[in-house]
Amino acid sequence: MVIDARPSRADYYRALAKTLPADALVVTSLGNASYLWAVVRHAPENFYFEDAMGLALPLALGLAIAQPTRRVVVVEGDGALMMHMGSLVTVGAVAPSNLTVLLIQNGVHAASGGQALTNPGLDLAQLARAAGIARAKNVMTPEALASEMGTASAGDGSQFLVLSTKPDVEVVRPPIALDPVMTKHRFMSAIGAPRYIPTMFGGGRLERA
Amino acid sequence: MDTSGEQSAASHRPSEILDTLKRLGFGAAIAVPDSWLGEILVRIEEEPGIRLVRATHEEEALAIACGSRLGGVRTAMFVQNAGLLSMGAGMVSLAQRYQFPLLMLVSYRGTVDDPVFYHVPKGRVTEPVLKGIGLSYAVADRGRPIGPQVERAATYAEEASCPFALLLSQEDVQW
Repeated sequence: MVIDARPSRADYYRALAKTLPADALVVTSLGNASYLWAVVRHAPENFYFEDAMGLALPLALGLAIAQPTRRVVVVEGDGALMMHMGSLVTVGAVAPSNLTVLLIQNGVHAASGGQALTNPGLDLAQLARAAGIARAKNVMTPEALASEMGTASAGDGSQFLVLSTKPDVEVVRPPIALDPVMTKHRFMSAIGAPRYIPTMFGGGRLERA
Repeated sequence: MDTSGEQSAASHRPSEILDTLKRLGFGAAIAVPDSWLGEILVRIEEEPGIRLVRATHEEEALAIACGSRLGGVRTAMFVQNAGLLSMGAGMVSLAQRYQFPLLMLVSYRGTVDDPVFYHVPKGRVTEPVLKGIGLSYAVADRGRPIGPQVERAATYAEEASCPFALLLSQEDVQW
């Protein structure tokens, strides 16, 4: 039996939980990316994806633009990134300095049972740099992730960390109900997002409570 | 709602769209252009109060818009109807599933009024597809001012907590 020496997603998550800035907003991709993060560090400021593979990164980009004073951390998978690789280009072009992308590179579609990726060995950090994300690095250990998280706000542009990870095809049982609408309302309430205030005949506005 | 429905229908309709977005407090526009949308996006880019993001694909644009709205910014999208066809999965499993209020301003290509013949395949299926995926929409009425129609679409999206697509003709949106 071949031992896979790469760290697990849980190893990285524990390092992330210890180093996450207090005001961070966290977006997690579908499957264990969300379920396990809910186990390790559930918070109202987490936005859990239920499905919508490939869209966690662009959603996090929109969130980072809307919340420029808060760090936005998104956990996306390599398979999901390949579904919407154009997102890299948009992140590179917009380059919000409050966005940290944690890219789980395990070489498989873990959320759907571990099927092989089209190309599991791509240098995704190099790809990100080519797309205009200068602060892109390969990360091999949880300790290195912790160190990089310490520099998250120290540079210009977005941070893109490719985490070499062994696949976790066993589905984690989330500790809470991950109802999508509840997730959204809980998140927006936690960050004090303006609410839509209707008027009798239209023309309502978003206003802070 | 203001009474701009009384204004002349002959006024510059793309300007009315932009003015309405500004008046309603839209802070972001996420776009993938087509030939009709090109110039209004340039005008939006010049607006200090509206952040324009140019995405590479309409489903990506949809997700960026959801994130922007999640962060508390009123957000519009500008896409061609081809983009409505290609964003189906994200529409149902993200925007609709999480009930994001989004105003989608869509260049409606391939109708009988569109001189470019190769858009026809998209035009003939757009509304059946929107009905199929349950996306609320309206076709803009060129006989009435466009500003109030945009406002009603935006209000619908917020009141019903869902994306709403307003399908626009060339004179509605091409600057």
